[in-house]
Amino acid sequence: MKDACQLYLEEPEAHAGHLAVCEHCRALFDTLGLQVDVQPPPAGALPLAPWEGASHRPWPLVAGGALLVLIVAVAVCVWAGVPPLRVVQSSFRAMTSARTTISSAAEALRQASTIWQIAFGLLFIAVNTALVVLLRRAPRGING
Amino acid sequence: MGRGRGLLVLAIVAAMLVTASIAMPAGIDVRPGDFTLAGGLAMLQRTAVILSLLFVWLIAAVVVTLMSGREVRYSSVELRASALHCFALGLVAITSFVLTAIVFSYFPSVIGVPLLIALAVFAIVTKIYGAIAVFHALGTVVAGARSREALERRRWLRGDLAMVVIGVLLLGAIRLIPVVGAIVWALMSVFGVGTALATKFGRREPWFLAWRPAES
Repeated sequence: MKDACQLYLEEPEAHAGHLAVCEHCRALFDTLGLQVDVQPPPAGALPLAPWEGASHRPWPLVAGGALLVLIVAVAVCVWAGVPPLRVVQSSFRAMTSARTTISSAAEALRQASTIWQIAFGLLFIAVNTALVVLLRRAPRGING
Repeated sequence: MGRGRGLLVLAIVAAMLVTASIAMPAGIDVRPGDFTLAGGLAMLQRTAVILSLLFVWLIAAVVVTLMSGREVRYSSVELRASALHCFALGLVAITSFVLTAIVFSYFPSVIGVPLLIALAVFAIVTKIYGAIAVFHALGTVVAGARSREALERRRWLRGDLAMVVIGVLLLGAIRLIPVVGAIVWALMSVFGVGTALATKFGRREPWFLAWRPAES
């Protein structure tokens, strides 16, 4: 065995280029069933990872988008005569409507027969069991 | 077997319609109105409210993405990787929120009201976070770079913030369409709640601990 081969076998990473020029070592690795030409794929050939470029912050786009929406919203509000308070009121109205619906459903349940109350209880248990079963599944997305 | 599968599909469609009608923003009339002056003015006022809320959504999306961009990205990736699971989870979760709220309302006020407030806060946080993840997912699908070269060439259209802004603007434009917009946003809420819960708000931790006997 040549000195170069000896050096390569002792420190393969320090003499990585040796394998390309020495047929003896390549034959030895082939005999042992070891992969001799394992090289990391070039970075450019790999698919684009979700985190690549993710931290970039294009402030002109953000400011432009926000300004566009703001100008259009103000213009339409002025044109339609909608005060800003009405926007807040519409959000609260949605909440109040949901609260009223749920309260009336609870009241109806209170006045319903025992069979309906048991049926509602079973439905409640079934839906929450399904929720727990679905929540137990691990996320499948690739690491971002 | 075939009949059972058909019933399952029908049940899913029925559950979807019921949940979508629950998730749909209140005060939105999906019936096409009469084209009178009053009707036109009402539509204009509704558009003004929608646009104002869209601006609030945009600001909220930018702030949340700046605070926890990685989590939003994880949820967005999960939504794109297993959309059906997110949708099913969202449907079940919204149904569970409604049923749990009815149960809490059934309790005496001293116990029921604090529980209802906690449930409402959790539901609102889930919806807001999930919607932002959907904005990111849509922005990435529509305007995301397909290759590294394309990414490097871009100056503005890259990064989590850009994807979220594109998503808000696209879904906001869809929201302005009278009937379709409300339905699309209701579906978006279902997907959003699903992806938020599936990834535990982007933290990708299990919701429940697995029981294992202690090793001696």
